[in-house]
Amino acid sequence: MQLADIEPGTVGPCHVAPDALQGIKRQQTNPSRWSGENWEAFAAAIRAGGIELRETMAARAPFATDAGGTAYGLAHGVVIARSAEQVAQLLRAAQAHRVPVTVSGGGLTTEGESVAFGGVLLDMSGMSRVLDIDAAALTVRTEAGIFWHSLAEELRRQDLDYLSAPLNLTSSVGGTLGVGGIDVNSARLGCSADQALALQVVTPTGDIVECSDTDNAELFQRVILGYGQFGVITAAKLRIRRYTPLRMHYFYYASLATAIEDLQLLDRNDASDYSGILTIMDCAVNVLVAFDSTEREAAFMANWRPRLRGYGELGFGLRTLAHYALRPWKLGEAWYLLQRKRELFPELQRPEYMRDGAMFDRSVVFSRAVWKFWGSRQMVIPDLATSAGKFVEAVERGNAVCRKYFRHYTLYLVGIRLRPEHRAHYEMSCIPPDADGWAYGCEFEPMLDDGLYSRDTLQSFKNEIYDIGVDMGASYYRFGGMMKGYIRRVFGDALVDRHLALKRAADPAMILNRHVIF
Amino acid sequence: MFAPATRATEPRQDFASCSGCGLCLLVCPVWQRERDIGLTPLVRAKALQFGAIAADLEASVQSCTLCAACEPVCPEDIALVAMTLGLRAQLLPPATAQGLRARMDEQAALPTAPAPSAATLLLPGRALRARAATLARTLRLLGGERQVATAADDGADMVLALEAGLPLPAKRMERFLQPLRRSTKLVVGDGLLLRELRRWLPQTKIESLGAALSGVAAVRRALRASDLYVIEARAYHADYERLVRHYDALRAAAGCAFNLDLQRIALPARARSLAQTLGIEAVDDRAQLRWILQGRSVARIVVEDPADGAAFAQVTELPVVHLADLADDGSS
Repeated sequence: MQLADIEPGTVGPCHVAPDALQGIKRQQTNPSRWSGENWEAFAAAIRAGGIELRETMAARAPFATDAGGTAYGLAHGVVIARSAEQVAQLLRAAQAHRVPVTVSGGGLTTEGESVAFGGVLLDMSGMSRVLDIDAAALTVRTEAGIFWHSLAEELRRQDLDYLSAPLNLTSSVGGTLGVGGIDVNSARLGCSADQALALQVVTPTGDIVECSDTDNAELFQRVILGYGQFGVITAAKLRIRRYTPLRMHYFYYASLATAIEDLQLLDRNDASDYSGILTIMDCAVNVLVAFDSTEREAAFMANWRPRLRGYGELGFGLRTLAHYALRPWKLGEAWYLLQRKRELFPELQRPEYMRDGAMFDRSVVFSRAVWKFWGSRQMVIPDLATSAGKFVEAVERGNAVCRKYFRHYTLYLVGIRLRPEHRAHYEMSCIPPDADGWAYGCEFEPMLDDGLYSRDTLQSFKNEIYDIGVDMGASYYRFGGMMKGYIRRVFGDALVDRHLALKRAADPAMILNRHVIF
Repeated sequence: MFAPATRATEPRQDFASCSGCGLCLLVCPVWQRERDIGLTPLVRAKALQFGAIAADLEASVQSCTLCAACEPVCPEDIALVAMTLGLRAQLLPPATAQGLRARMDEQAALPTAPAPSAATLLLPGRALRARAATLARTLRLLGGERQVATAADDGADMVLALEAGLPLPAKRMERFLQPLRRSTKLVVGDGLLLRELRRWLPQTKIESLGAALSGVAAVRRALRASDLYVIEARAYHADYERLVRHYDALRAAAGCAFNLDLQRIALPARARSLAQTLGIEAVDDRAQLRWILQGRSVARIVVEDPADGAAFAQVTELPVVHLADLADDGSS
C-alpha cells in the first residue's frame, strides 16, 4: 500500500456526510481506512517473535468502543503490552507490514481515539508495574500503562502521592501524559503531564528511546501532549510529593460569570491548593476550594473568604427557594436540583473517606461519584480551553448550547497553571496559544440517562460547542478522533502541516494511532 | 434447585449495564497478579455484551477468586459474582459436577440436625472447625453455650458447589436450612455461604464471624495500633455498606491497619482460582500476601479466618493470631 502525498486542502468529495461540518476545509491526510491487507503475514511474523496475539471475538470485543460509547470499531487482534522490547518488536513488524496499531490505556477517551478500526489494539494496561520509588528525591519511575489509582495505592504505602491526575481512577499514566490531564490542583501545579520528568518511548519505527527536556528533547516535547502520534510511552519518571489529606470547602453561586471571576481571583493569588467549579446546569454553581494544611486553610479564611461572593449551603438554599417560589413553572428544575443534592452530596462525604473533617483519597471520592452519577454507556464531553480573559464568554456561550440540547447537564471548570519552560510541550495541544499564566478549561457534560439521543444529535451538540472555540480562538482537550475535523480550523494549516511532516518522518507507514489526529 | 444468584435485598443489574468504567478491574486480585485485562469482570461483562458465550471466557471465569471486591465498587450495581457463577455453571465438567452432587446427596440423606440449643447459631466453617481450641474460645467470646450453639451442619459440601456455580439440590438445601430457620441470628465463618444465606433467609440476622468477634469489647481492647487486621474479604464485600462503617469505627478505636485499599475494599489473603479451590491445581498465595504486606510496618497479623492465618504464616516471621485468640475469654 502506498501512502499518497496529498497536498493540504486537496481531497476528493466526501461521500459520507457532504453536508456536515459546513465551512470546514476538508483535507484527507491518511489513506482510507485500512481493510486488512497483510494481516496474516503480520500475525505470523509477530507470533514467530513470541508475541501473544489474541484474535477471538471475546478478546477483541471489549475494546470495541471507549468511554464515549459512540465510536465503534474492531481490531483484528489484541496484544497485551508486556515490555518495551515487545512493543518495539510489534511496531517494527507493523511498519514492515503497514498494519495500524491503536494504543489503549484506560480506554477513557470519548471520541474513539482509543478504538481500533482494524489492525492491532495494543492494551497498555499489561505494563502497569511501579519500577522504583525514590522517597528522598520524590520521584517515581513506573510502567506507563499503570492507572493513576494503582500508582496511588503503591505510593500511599510510603505516605507519598502523585502530584496531579484526572479525577478518574482508571485513567492511565501514559494516556494522560499523551493528552495533558487536569486535576483540581492544576491551577497551581499545571496539567498532569507537567509532572513528567523523563519518559521511555518506543517510536513508531520500533526504537526504544529515553527522553526528557535535556535528552532527546524534541521527542519528549512531541510525545508529551502528543496524542500518541510520535511514540508509545512505556515508562515514565514522575515527580511525586508527600501525601496530605485535604480540607474541602464549597461555595455556591447562581451566576457562572461571578463564580468564574472568583475562581480566577483565587488562582491568581494562590489562595488555595485546589480549586475548581462543578455545576448542576447553571442553576447551582459550586466553587470548590481545598487545602493541604490547616495553615493554608486559615490564611484563606482570613484573607480570601470574605472577598468571595458565593453563599454557604444554607444561604444558597434559601436563595434558591426564593428564586423558585417566584417561578413556579420551573418547579421541575427545582425538584431535580433537590434530588441531585440529596443523592450526590452524601456520596462526596462518605464517612469512611473522611477523618476529622479532612477528605482522604479525593480521587476515590470524586471518581466513584463521577461514575455513579455521570457515567453511562454513552458519554459526550466537549470542552473549551481558553485564556483567562476569554473564559467567561466561552463558558456562557457553551452553557447556552447545553441548555438548547439537554434538560440536565454539568459543567466542570478548572484553571491550568502554565509552565513557561514547557511552552514547547504545549504546541498543538489543549493549551491555547494566547494563554499567559493560566489557561482555563470547561467540560460540558450532558446527562444522557435522561433520554435517548441519536449520534447525530450528540455530534451536532459537540460541533456547536467547538464552533465557539473556532470563533474565539480557543483550543480543546478532546480534539482527536471524531472531532479531528476541527484541528485545522483551530490550529491553522501551517502548524498542522508541520506536525504532519514530523509524523510522516517518524512514522513512515502512518501506523500508530492513525485515526486520532491526522 | 437453588441456583446461586443475586442478593434478595436489592435489585441488581446484569452485564448489559456495564459501562466499561473499569473500577472493578482496580480491585480485582487476579488483575493485580496477572495484569491481564482478559481475566477481569470488566472484560467478562463487555464480552457478553458482544455475544460471547461461557466457553469463550473459560480462563477468565475459572480464574475468578469470588472475593466479590468488584461488586461494591460497581457504579451500575451489576451482580458480577452471580454473572461469573452463572458462567461457571455452564463450564463445569460433568465428572466434577457429579462428584459435588454426590457429596451433597450424601449429606441430604442424613437425619436433619436437632433444633439449636441457643438463639444464635455459629456456622464456623471448615478451617475454624478444625481448630477446636480456637472454636471453643470463639463460642465463649460470643456469649457462651447459653447464647451460641455450633451448627452441626455448616454446609461445607454446599460451599464447594457454590464455588463451582453448581445449582444446589432442594433436598440438601432443606436439610441445611431447617435448623437455621429456628435461629434468630446466624454467625457465619464462610463468606461465600454468608452471601447466599442473606438471600435464602432474608428475615434472619446474619453476621460474619469476623464482624461478630470484632464487635466484642474484649477483642477490640486487645487490638494494637501496630496490628495488621486481615478482614475476610468475601464476607466483607457481601455486606459492604454496613461493614465498611463497622471497620472504620474499629480503625478509629484501635488504630490498627487493615488489608483495605484506598477504596476501602478488602485485599483477600487467598486469591485462588476454581481449580486451586477444588484442589486440582497447586496453590501459591505468596504474591498476594506480599502485596498486602508491602510497605507496611506492622508487628502482628490478626486474622478473622484461620485459613488466612495459615497462609500468612508461610510468608512472614511476624506472629499471626486469630481474632478469638487475642482476648482473655474468661476461660483461664
